[in-house]
Amino acid sequence: MPCEQYKNALVEAAAGSTTPSGELLAHLGECASCSAAFAQEQSLFAAVDSGLHAAANTEAPPSLLPRVRVALDEATAPRLRWVQPLVLASAGIALVFVVFLLARPHRSVQEEVAKQAPAIVPIPKVSAAKTNLETTNSSGSTQVAANHFSHFHAARNSTNLYAAASSNPEVLVPPDEREAFARLVAVLNRHSDVAAALMAKAPQKGVLVTADPLQIPDIEIKPLEGAETETSKGASEKQ
Amino acid sequence: MQELVLNQPVSTARSELVREAAQADARREFEERLAECGPLAYRVARGVLRNTADAEDVAQEALLRAYKGFERLRDRSRFRGWLVRISFRLALDRLRSAKRREQRDTLWSHPAHLPAPANAEDIAASNQFQSHLERALEELPEKLRLVLLLSAMDGYTIEEIAATVGVPIGTVKSRIFIARKKLAEKLRCHANSIKMR
Repeated sequence: MPCEQYKNALVEAAAGSTTPSGELLAHLGECASCSAAFAQEQSLFAAVDSGLHAAANTEAPPSLLPRVRVALDEATAPRLRWVQPLVLASAGIALVFVVFLLARPHRSVQEEVAKQAPAIVPIPKVSAAKTNLETTNSSGSTQVAANHFSHFHAARNSTNLYAAASSNPEVLVPPDEREAFARLVAVLNRHSDVAAALMAKAPQKGVLVTADPLQIPDIEIKPLEGAETETSKGASEKQ
Repeated sequence: MQELVLNQPVSTARSELVREAAQADARREFEERLAECGPLAYRVARGVLRNTADAEDVAQEALLRAYKGFERLRDRSRFRGWLVRISFRLALDRLRSAKRREQRDTLWSHPAHLPAPANAEDIAASNQFQSHLERALEELPEKLRLVLLLSAMDGYTIEEIAATVGVPIGTVKSRIFIARKKLAEKLRCHANSIKMR
């Protein structure tokens, strides 16, 4: 135990890392317990300093600076990091929307027209002349088969537009009869005589139809060969 | 008016370029200081937190904040002190929240007082006395703690500490003296372990 009157002075001297002087120094030379206590205080402060040095000078981990640089890069361009995916996403959505808008009206109108409105289908122009009939019919049937879509689209807007654009005669075909009508057109293309018959002018009522007299050519009747032999055979027998 | 409207995009682009150039300069200058000041921020945080991973996180956060405010720092020679204060403040905040969390967990599970979590590196680097010392350091008032930590760091003179903390040299000296005395008082009961060192 150090002497009570020198106790604080010992601690102060050790804390200040100074060598004791004057009265304290003299006392330490005389008092063994105070000298031992001072030595212990000195070692305590030395340990504190050593521990503090160790605590305050730890090596920074090597990962620190790369981590900081990455964080700095992110902090420098935060807008790009967020904006770029946002822009891409919104552009994608806009593109999908545009494609949807472009695709939807055609399909829906086609369906609506097919369900509700009768379709306008050009009928083949049939004339008496066979060559003319064939060319016109082939173009007409092509229109029925290939230009279905455009006709429906035109029909949605105005029937007059199509009528003005095409010189072919048109008919309105109900949806349930369309397939049958297409088949009819195909048959007409194959058999032009049928088409001609169908498109021929019907006789007007009240007008006398003059029919040509039936001309039957002379019939030449030849005798049967079997009968002739039989006759000759019978005659020879009779003879 | 029309001319103003036409010139506006040009001036905006020019100011944008100037801003980008200033940013690039600031980044370059900051990078030059990073190698020196990064470990400093870490040491300050480590001295407060006694945990390597937490100290690294805090140092990173401190450096980021310092970078964000770097352009506004008029006197760049004060950067070290500024960074030390940021790191110290952040470390204290984290320590407080960690203590609150620890208290909450302790109350919830009712275990005996657990020592602060430490990784293998910490365990290898320290002994029992070191652990007591760091705990005693934690209990010091903030003003004393920062000055004591800085005084224990390599390459820090009293004048530099005074400049960093922004107090007179005499105040730094007295704070170091008081802090060491307080630490010694707290550690005197662990005098036996001192002999082991």
